[in-house]
Amino acid sequence: MKLELGYIQIKDIQFSKECKVDNGTLYVDPDAVKAYLYEDDDVKAWVKDFGFDIAKPGESVRITPVKDVIEPRVKVEGPGGVFPGVISKVETVGSGKTHVLRGMAVVTAGKIVGFQEGIIDMSGPGAEYTPFSKLNNLVVVAEPNEGYQDHKHEYEHAVRIAGLRAATYIGELGRSVTPDETAEFETYGIKEGLEKLPNLPRVAYVHMLQSQGLLHDTYVYGVDAKRSLTTILCPTETMDGAIISGNCVSACDKNTTYHHQNNPVVANLFAAHGKTLNYVCNIITNENVYLADKQRSSDWTAKLCRLLDLDGALVSQEGFGNPDTDLIMNCKKIELQGVKTVIITDEYAGQDGKSQSLADADPLADAVVTGGNANEVIILPKMDKVIGTLDYVDVIAGGHAGSLRPDGTIEAELQVITGATNEMGFNRLSAR
Amino acid sequence: MVKEIERAGIPVVHMCTVTPISMTVGANRIVPTIAIPHPLGNPALSLEEEKAIRRKLVERALEALTTEVDDQTIFEV
Repeated sequence: MKLELGYIQIKDIQFSKECKVDNGTLYVDPDAVKAYLYEDDDVKAWVKDFGFDIAKPGESVRITPVKDVIEPRVKVEGPGGVFPGVISKVETVGSGKTHVLRGMAVVTAGKIVGFQEGIIDMSGPGAEYTPFSKLNNLVVVAEPNEGYQDHKHEYEHAVRIAGLRAATYIGELGRSVTPDETAEFETYGIKEGLEKLPNLPRVAYVHMLQSQGLLHDTYVYGVDAKRSLTTILCPTETMDGAIISGNCVSACDKNTTYHHQNNPVVANLFAAHGKTLNYVCNIITNENVYLADKQRSSDWTAKLCRLLDLDGALVSQEGFGNPDTDLIMNCKKIELQGVKTVIITDEYAGQDGKSQSLADADPLADAVVTGGNANEVIILPKMDKVIGTLDYVDVIAGGHAGSLRPDGTIEAELQVITGATNEMGFNRLSAR
Repeated sequence: MVKEIERAGIPVVHMCTVTPISMTVGANRIVPTIAIPHPLGNPALSLEEEKAIRRKLVERALEALTTEVDDQTIFEV
């Protein structure tokens, strides 16, 4: 399957009376976007109002709580549309041509449900820990209707859909813009790959999806990952939004939709494809809360690795705690099939870094890449402007009573920052 | 906690859902439970059915507590 991505570099976002992309600037009319969001019945039912804001790199701006970050894209050639099964009709994506509005994102923010997680600082030390401080962000702040606390799932769904709809609306503005740059991505069928690259090791990406429940969910072609068995995707499908995020709790190591669209494991495997390895496919598997599910899903992951006659697999985790067991089960069972693994995770090693990093371990997990220690304490300076609210800083995962100090600074663990210890390796936290 | 209490000379049964973690950290008597968000209950069942499951789990745990073990043991329910 072959996909061409056409990158349209967005250097600035401005509010305007019209919506267009012109010479690298996105002009956007918030009223037009809002009207499009409210065309959805669930959004209409649960969201009282939307506020719109723009956050640019280097500004003294803090966005919190953050629900999702989404890159606007539009399918210009080939079957299907972006976010299949959720925004577009269900149809296999990942071939043809897609335009990408690069250098920007749609960020959904505001009071969500239950835990209120995630901070993006656009400048200062916090900005170094989140990739989204480097983007021009169109922030959509949702305000819930009365009674939403009794309908948490419905409200979470409505805000999730609103973010995807906003990104779809903005992406559409890039349909007839000539991209600044294009790139092609292609993987082969099993037999075709063996014929074309007979001497290269066969490698797949085992992509673990968070699926523990409300605010910890992931959707594939609209299917809740916790209700699915381990299966196979072509890597290019993820570039068209086949996987979307429904989670934001403990924001440092949850994959936003932007991460799925721009998965660095996928990007790096493609960079090596045909040169040092044969990138066979992605295997997606879940992280459920029942032990039987964990056993079943990891059995299937190992079985598929064997069936595909792989030489190696890269395994990325999402989240921490009991998913450490899913990670180790996957690693161990794949290794026992004779397939080498490298696991990508992050650590909860305590504020002093001296505790055990993962809840589970095995001698077969002997090649590990870490995204960093999420318990590391940081001090975030006061920002001139807050998009969203600081009401929840003391109670988010990684915060504590008194996290928000009287002078407006925040003392908390890295956990609070969206994407800080991402387990796809999106960040560059390093011991050196 | 399981290990510290045992270190004080009191036998412990670890009732938990993710038994592999319990094995990794070194519990000696392990009883598998329902699910991480609700280890001793199941919201999908009726109250009577749930009560029956709880009794079964607790009785199994008490049996484990009084069983001699010479290695880490999972007491399947």
